[in-house]
Amino acid sequence: MFDWFKKFTSPKLLRAKGVLGMNARNFHIISRYNPRRLYPLVDDKVQTKALALQYGVNTPNLIGVIEHQFQVKNILKMVENHSEFVVKPSHGSGGKGVLVIKGYAENSFTLPSGKTITYNELYQHISNILSGLYSLGGRYDSALVEEVVHFSDIFKDYSYQGVPDVRVIVYKGYPIMAMSRLSTAESGGRANLHQGAVGVGLDIKTGKTQKAVQHNMPITYHPDTKADLRKIVVPLWREHLLIAAKAYEMTGLGYFGADIVLDAQKGPMMLELNARPGLAIQIANGLGLKKAIKRVDKKYPSGLTAEQRVDYVLA
Amino acid sequence: MKKLISVRLLLSIGLILSMIFAGYSIYYKVKYWGFSISPKQNANVWAIEANINFIADGTPIKVSLGIPTKNKGFKILEENIIANGYKTQKHADRIVFSTHNMIGEQNLYYKIIVFDNINTKDKLKDKAPKAPLMPQFDEQKMAQARQILEIADKLSGKDKVEKLIKLFNEEPLNPALKSYIPVQNTTKSKINQMRELLAIEGISTRIARGLKLEEGQKVTPDMMLEAYNNGAWRIYDVTTGKIGLPDNFLLFQRGGDSLLDVEGGTDSSVKFSIAKSITSTMNLASQRAKQAKKAGWFDHSIYNLPLAQQNTLKWLSVFPIGILLVVLMRNIVGVQTMGTFTPMLISMSLVKTGFITGLVCFLAIILLGLGIRFIMSKLNLLLVPRISAVVIFVILIIHGLTFVGYNFDIKIAQASVFFPIIITAWVIERASITWEEDGPLNAGTELLNSLLVGIIVYFIIANDYVRHIMFVFNELNIVILFIVMLLGTYTGYRLTELRRFAPLVKKVK
Repeated sequence: MFDWFKKFTSPKLLRAKGVLGMNARNFHIISRYNPRRLYPLVDDKVQTKALALQYGVNTPNLIGVIEHQFQVKNILKMVENHSEFVVKPSHGSGGKGVLVIKGYAENSFTLPSGKTITYNELYQHISNILSGLYSLGGRYDSALVEEVVHFSDIFKDYSYQGVPDVRVIVYKGYPIMAMSRLSTAESGGRANLHQGAVGVGLDIKTGKTQKAVQHNMPITYHPDTKADLRKIVVPLWREHLLIAAKAYEMTGLGYFGADIVLDAQKGPMMLELNARPGLAIQIANGLGLKKAIKRVDKKYPSGLTAEQRVDYVLA
Repeated sequence: MKKLISVRLLLSIGLILSMIFAGYSIYYKVKYWGFSISPKQNANVWAIEANINFIADGTPIKVSLGIPTKNKGFKILEENIIANGYKTQKHADRIVFSTHNMIGEQNLYYKIIVFDNINTKDKLKDKAPKAPLMPQFDEQKMAQARQILEIADKLSGKDKVEKLIKLFNEEPLNPALKSYIPVQNTTKSKINQMRELLAIEGISTRIARGLKLEEGQKVTPDMMLEAYNNGAWRIYDVTTGKIGLPDNFLLFQRGGDSLLDVEGGTDSSVKFSIAKSITSTMNLASQRAKQAKKAGWFDHSIYNLPLAQQNTLKWLSVFPIGILLVVLMRNIVGVQTMGTFTPMLISMSLVKTGFITGLVCFLAIILLGLGIRFIMSKLNLLLVPRISAVVIFVILIIHGLTFVGYNFDIKIAQASVFFPIIITAWVIERASITWEEDGPLNAGTELLNSLLVGIIVYFIIANDYVRHIMFVFNELNIVILFIVMLLGTYTGYRLTELRRFAPLVKKVK
C-alpha cells in the first residue's frame, strides 16, 4: 500500500528539478509560441519537405506524392528508377504507417525485416494512407514516396530493427535537449518509449550519452544487442543541431521537436518536425525542460542566425 | 506569466460573480417559487369542502362560517363558493352568506384548495386577550377546583395548561377530578371545564376548531384549546396536552365565536369532506410565484415551458457537471481516455439502461464488436467503409441481444437497444487500432480508463439529487462554466505525472 504511494513524488521536488508538465507545456509554451496557422507546415510532410529544400536542409529525396485513389496504381511506374523506396503518410506522426521497401520484383516486395508482401498488400497500404488511417484526426491524406535512408553503421549495434533517430527539442531557435530513441524487440521495432523502446539522453553540447532509460528505469546495455549505451557518441553533432536550429526559421514555431536520422553518405537528414513533442525526453536526460527554457528566456541572446545559435549552445 | 495572472484574475472574478448570482438566484427560487433542494417531486394538494345544511324558516337568513385565515402554514390555490340566491361576503376569518325568502332545506358549499401546508408548531400570533372572567362558583366547588389545580401542578408538563390537560386525560381518572366532573362528558364540556379551571389561574383561553387533513367524508372538525400564556397564544391538543398544531392540521376557526352561526334557520350543521391529490411540486411553483408577487420572472423562466421541453432541458442540465468531471480526470488527474467525451457518452447510456445491465451489455457489445473487427482487419477494407461495417455489425449485435433478451427474458440483453450505435462503433474501431498499433495492453488500459471515468460520471449524473439540483438551480451551470475555464489555466503537474516523472528526482536503488 505504502509502496504504491512511494511511486509518486511531490510537485515541489518536480518544480525544483524544473520538470515541464503536460498542462504547463500546452499552456505556457505551445499555445504561446506555436500559432495554430503554422501547424500545417509541420503536420504536412510535403510542405515540410518543400520548406526544407528552400532553406537548404537535408531531407530524404522525394520520389513522388500520391494524392488520389486512382493514382495508387501508378506506384510501380513512379518508382521504376529506384530499387528501394519508402511510403509514408503525409500527415502521419510517430512513424505510423511508414512502409520501407528494400527491394522488389514483380509481385514481391521485401521489407527490412526480410519479410515480403504482395503488390495487393502494398496497394492496400497506400489506400489506407489515403483514407486517413494514419493521419491526425482521420482526415483524408496523401502518401509520400521517398528515397530510403541508409542508416549510418554507428547506430547499428544500438537498435533492434527500426529507425534509430535523434530528436532535438528546439526552443526559440536554440536546441535545448536531445535524445535518441532506440527500438527494442519489446517495442516491436518502434521508437515509442512507452512501448519499451530505449531512450538515450544526449548531451546537447557533445552528442554523448548522458543517461539511458527503458520504461523510465536507467539501463546501461541495450536489452537485445547488449551494446554499451554509455559509449554512444553521435557523429556530426553540430550538423544535427544545425538542422534542428534551421527548422526554427523554416517554420516560425517557437517550440518543436526535430527528428533527425543519420545517412551513411548524405549525413544528418531531417525526417519530420513535431509541434507538440512529448515530455519523455526529460526522463531520458534526467533533466527538466522548464529549467532549460528559463535559461533561454533569461540569458540567451535573440536575433542570431541558426549557425550562431548552434555555436552559442556548443560554446 | 503576466498574461496568465490577468486571465486567471478575470476568470476568478467571473467565478465569484457567478457564485454570488447563483447564490441569490437559488435563495430567490427557494423563497418565492418554493423550489427545494430535495428531489421529492410531489406535493400534496388538499381540497376541503364545507357543506352547510339547515332548514330555512322564512325569516331573513344570515349564515356565518369560520374559515382559515391566511398565514404562513399553507397556501390557497383556489377558493370556491356555491350558494345560489345568496349574497356572500368574505372577511378575513369568516364567510357570511345572507338572503331573504328561503324556505326548506338549504345547502351551501364553501370549497378551498390548499397546498404547502407546513407545521406551525410555533406561536400563533393574535392580539392579547382581556383577563379572563372568574367563574361563578360556590365555596365548595371553588375549593374542589383549587384542589384539582394543585394536583395538576404536580404532574409533569411544560406549563399549567399542559398539566391540566394531562390530568383530564389520566386513566383511571383522579378521584378528585372524577367527583368534580359529570359522568357523561363530551369533549366540548370537558374543554369548558378546563377553561373554567384555567380562568381561576388567570389564564385566558378559547376554543379553536380545525381539520386534520386526512381524506374522508363528513368529517367533523376537531376542537383544540388555545391559551394565552407567557405573552403568546398557544394551541393545545386536548387529548394529549401537546403544544402546537398537529401535522397537517388546518384551523378553520379561532376565538370565541362558534364555527357556524345560522340566523333564520334550524337544524344547522356543517360537514366537511377532504380529498387529497398529489401533484408535482413544480406545478405549484407558478402559484407560489404569483402569491409572492414574483410571477414576472417565473413566466419567463424555463419552468414555465411545456413539460416535454422541461424534461429535455432537465436531461441536458446534468451534463455540465459530468463534463467538469471529465476535465478534472483528464487535466488534473491525467487519465488517458478514449476520446475526450467517450466516458460521458458511456455514462449517458448507463443512465438509460441501468448500471449493471448497461455495463454487462456494453462489454458484451464491445467484445463481440472487437472480435468481428479483428476478422474484418484481415479483409483490408478502406477506413470509412470499414467503420460503416462496424456500425452495421453493432446494430446487428444489438438486434441479436435484444431478441435473445426478450425471448429468454434476460433484462440485461434487452438494454442493449439504448447504446448509441455510432459511439459504440467508434469505441470498437479506436480500441482495435490502438490494439494493433500500441498493443493489447494499451488498448485495454484506454478502454478500462474510459469505462472507469464513465462509471464515475454515471454515479454523479444518475444521482436524483444531482439531477434535480442541476435542473432546478440551473444557474449552477454558470458556476461550473467558470470552474472549467479556470481549470483551463491550471498549469501544474497532473497527478499521473507525479509518478511518471518520479525517476527524475528519485535516486533509484
